[in-house]
Amino acid sequence: MEDGGGERERLTLVARKPCFGLPTACPKSLPVYIYLRFSKIPFSLEFNLIHPDSDQIPFVESGDYVAYNNEKGGVIPNLKEDGIVDLDSEVSGIPEWVSIKAMVESWLADAVMYELWVGCDGKSAQKIYYSDLPWPIGKILYFKQVLVVKQLLGITSDNAERREEEIYSRAALAYGALSSRLGEQSFFFDNRPTSLDAAFLGHVLFVLHALPETSVLRSKLLSHSNLVSYAENLKMEYVDANLSSSSVPQSDPSSSASKRGPSHWSSKPRSKAKREKTEEEKKFRRRAKYFLATQLVAILIFLSLLGGSSDAEVELGDDDDGLNYD
Amino acid sequence: METQPESDQESNQTESATSEPEDFEEFEEDDNDDNEDDFEQEEGEEAESMTAEARMRKNRAKMESLIMRLSKEQVPVRVHEVIIKGNTKTKGSLIESEVEAILRDATRFQQLLRAASVANARLQRLGVFDSVSITLDAGPPEVPGTANVVIEVSEAKNLLNGEIGIYTKPEARSWSLEGSLKLKNLFGFGDLWDGSVAYGWGQASEVSTGVSLPKFKVLATPMSARISLLSQDWLNFSSYREQVLGLSLGLLSSGNHDVSCNLSWRTLKDPSQMSSDTVRRQLGHNLFSALKYAFKVDRRDSLMRPTRGHAFIYTTQIGGLFPDIRSLRLIRQEFDLRYAIPLGFYRAALNFGISGGLVFPWGSGYMNTPSYLPERFFIGGNSSPVCSLRGPTSVLGFRARGLGPAEPRRPDNSDGGKPDDSGMDHIGGDLALTAFADLSFDLPLRALREAGIHGHVFACTGSLNKLTENAYKDFSFEKLRDSFRSSAGFGIIVPTKLFRMEVNYCYILKQNEHDQGKSGVKFSFSSPL
Repeated sequence: MEDGGGERERLTLVARKPCFGLPTACPKSLPVYIYLRFSKIPFSLEFNLIHPDSDQIPFVESGDYVAYNNEKGGVIPNLKEDGIVDLDSEVSGIPEWVSIKAMVESWLADAVMYELWVGCDGKSAQKIYYSDLPWPIGKILYFKQVLVVKQLLGITSDNAERREEEIYSRAALAYGALSSRLGEQSFFFDNRPTSLDAAFLGHVLFVLHALPETSVLRSKLLSHSNLVSYAENLKMEYVDANLSSSSVPQSDPSSSASKRGPSHWSSKPRSKAKREKTEEEKKFRRRAKYFLATQLVAILIFLSLLGGSSDAEVELGDDDDGLNYD
Repeated sequence: METQPESDQESNQTESATSEPEDFEEFEEDDNDDNEDDFEQEEGEEAESMTAEARMRKNRAKMESLIMRLSKEQVPVRVHEVIIKGNTKTKGSLIESEVEAILRDATRFQQLLRAASVANARLQRLGVFDSVSITLDAGPPEVPGTANVVIEVSEAKNLLNGEIGIYTKPEARSWSLEGSLKLKNLFGFGDLWDGSVAYGWGQASEVSTGVSLPKFKVLATPMSARISLLSQDWLNFSSYREQVLGLSLGLLSSGNHDVSCNLSWRTLKDPSQMSSDTVRRQLGHNLFSALKYAFKVDRRDSLMRPTRGHAFIYTTQIGGLFPDIRSLRLIRQEFDLRYAIPLGFYRAALNFGISGGLVFPWGSGYMNTPSYLPERFFIGGNSSPVCSLRGPTSVLGFRARGLGPAEPRRPDNSDGGKPDDSGMDHIGGDLALTAFADLSFDLPLRALREAGIHGHVFACTGSLNKLTENAYKDFSFEKLRDSFRSSAGFGIIVPTKLFRMEVNYCYILKQNEHDQGKSGVKFSFSSPL
């Protein structure tokens, strides 16, 4: 609105908080940010820190116009349909483009959701979504979200391991296919950015920067060096370059990932150790349950015996001449 | 002393005297005082030698002289022991703590009788006994000049009570149906538990449970605690729905002062996805911990139709005391002043009142932070300002939340838009002021007068302004003066036992662009509670 020469009012993207060196650390908001960056439209970035369980975020607003995440398939399709910005006009008819995009938005999105909420220890999720909420609310919402994610991914205590394998293997397949499709190009199609690049770049940046080093998904991604260099190059060109013009804080001292250079990606997969730990945990939980049950039974027996003996005392007491009912 | 053994026997004989329906003032004030004579049998042995008639005459003479003495002289007596009977569940120490002090303070017989009736009333007020009877008995013979007090309580048989009622809530602009279950004395401490469910037509529903404890042992004042889950729907007015899970503790409630603290988790959501910019920015979760102090004085002669007296309420609330700095921080002040002057003819009275409120955030960057949306002031609705003392909330003639700053909602591009949808969100204000003047009078028809139906003529005005987010820099006296909307009208008031119904014709004298005031006939319901 205050910019001269713009017929349209200034665009504002409301997303989740920035951390780990990323302008916004939420895996749903980052692709939208990158898409707007690709389109070279000026926009301002604002953050919503108190509504982690909302599916309306991220949203884009401009004057009276609002494009929510949960309408018409997402913010990007919304922006395309409403004529604000459309980078896919020439590729959206290509079947390969559509199927690669579908693979990124289903298999890879599921893998990130699993890794963020179930696979890793949850510290990244807590930092991104709940670090600005008061502690009791943050904790309760976090546990609620873990349950929701497990429901969405169809994970139960019986099939947990099987589902995990399935999710990781699909992610690995997707990475392999994307790596061979990309080769040494800068973009996937037509040598220019499309929403597919926005979605995939958002995914890769999130996995590399926001997930911990012990993440299995991260280690699978690191095995494809062309994908990693694709992400780094595009990040330098589109994300880091204009950081000063938007309202993103430049340094995040709490994130150690921002100091690492491109050749220093390290991963420490603990897949085997993790599986053993899960079994140990299960054994421990079973034993703890038996222990607690035994304690409870002992207490109940004790109380019933004690209750019996105290009844006997009261009967004796009635023989006394007690006027005092205190 | 010589009189002591006499007074002993006389106090025994008092028991038999009071069982007769004498016109003896001190005994008549206690309906439940059941004075028995435990030692009548001893008396009987002495008098066996006389004939029945002579015995009666002698007793009556003794009684009359005793009554003369008691009414004219100060008979010294003190309490030796307080005996409690009948409490199977209630802790004896609770009963003792309620009554012991005042009984022990009595040094004269008349004081003791008065203390006994006060003790009776206090025990009844606990609400956990079906009946209470206090008997004054003679003390042990070896300790002359004393009396024993025997308190016999009958605990409520039905621990569980249920209630269903229909109430009005002025803010919600609708009726609410409330059902509650009460449990008395579950743990023997005089504790009262209650669980209630309230449902207001489409707008507010609440499930809550609470406990109240009387003054006892470590508790210097009666305390109460309440957990509630409240859900309020403001989609039509401000495009948001609020859910509150709260715990509130009443810490001090004595005389005019009331201190309570509140810890609640508040969530704002917008399922309609049509909210304006201000509302959209505030959607989400917040922790609100506040300490609230209220001072209340109400000296009016009636709540439904005040004709003389004054009332003043001042409330202050400080939020953000939870140790977590991310909880909501604000200060909210509210006051109500009412005054009623009788005019002497047709039972007419002039009522006028002024209410005001201010809410402001505190903490770092408080000048730029907006105030929390549900804690702002909203003016509107059809509740009468005469009897309700709820702060600056009503100017007759305006729809609920219909007065004050408003912002455009997201434009509705679909074909089927709601016909009465104004397309504006009312977002409330930080500084609110309302004032009214009301002249009420009896109607000429006798039938109406007897039913309590009367008429009134009124004028009200109100203003609502935003001060936060640096808006206070542009604020001036002229702006405040221009922001006052006003209405006037006349109507008929029908007071019933539960609520006050009014049929008014309101004429809007001044309203601003996006206000929702409409001249016409309006019904209004208010409850003085």
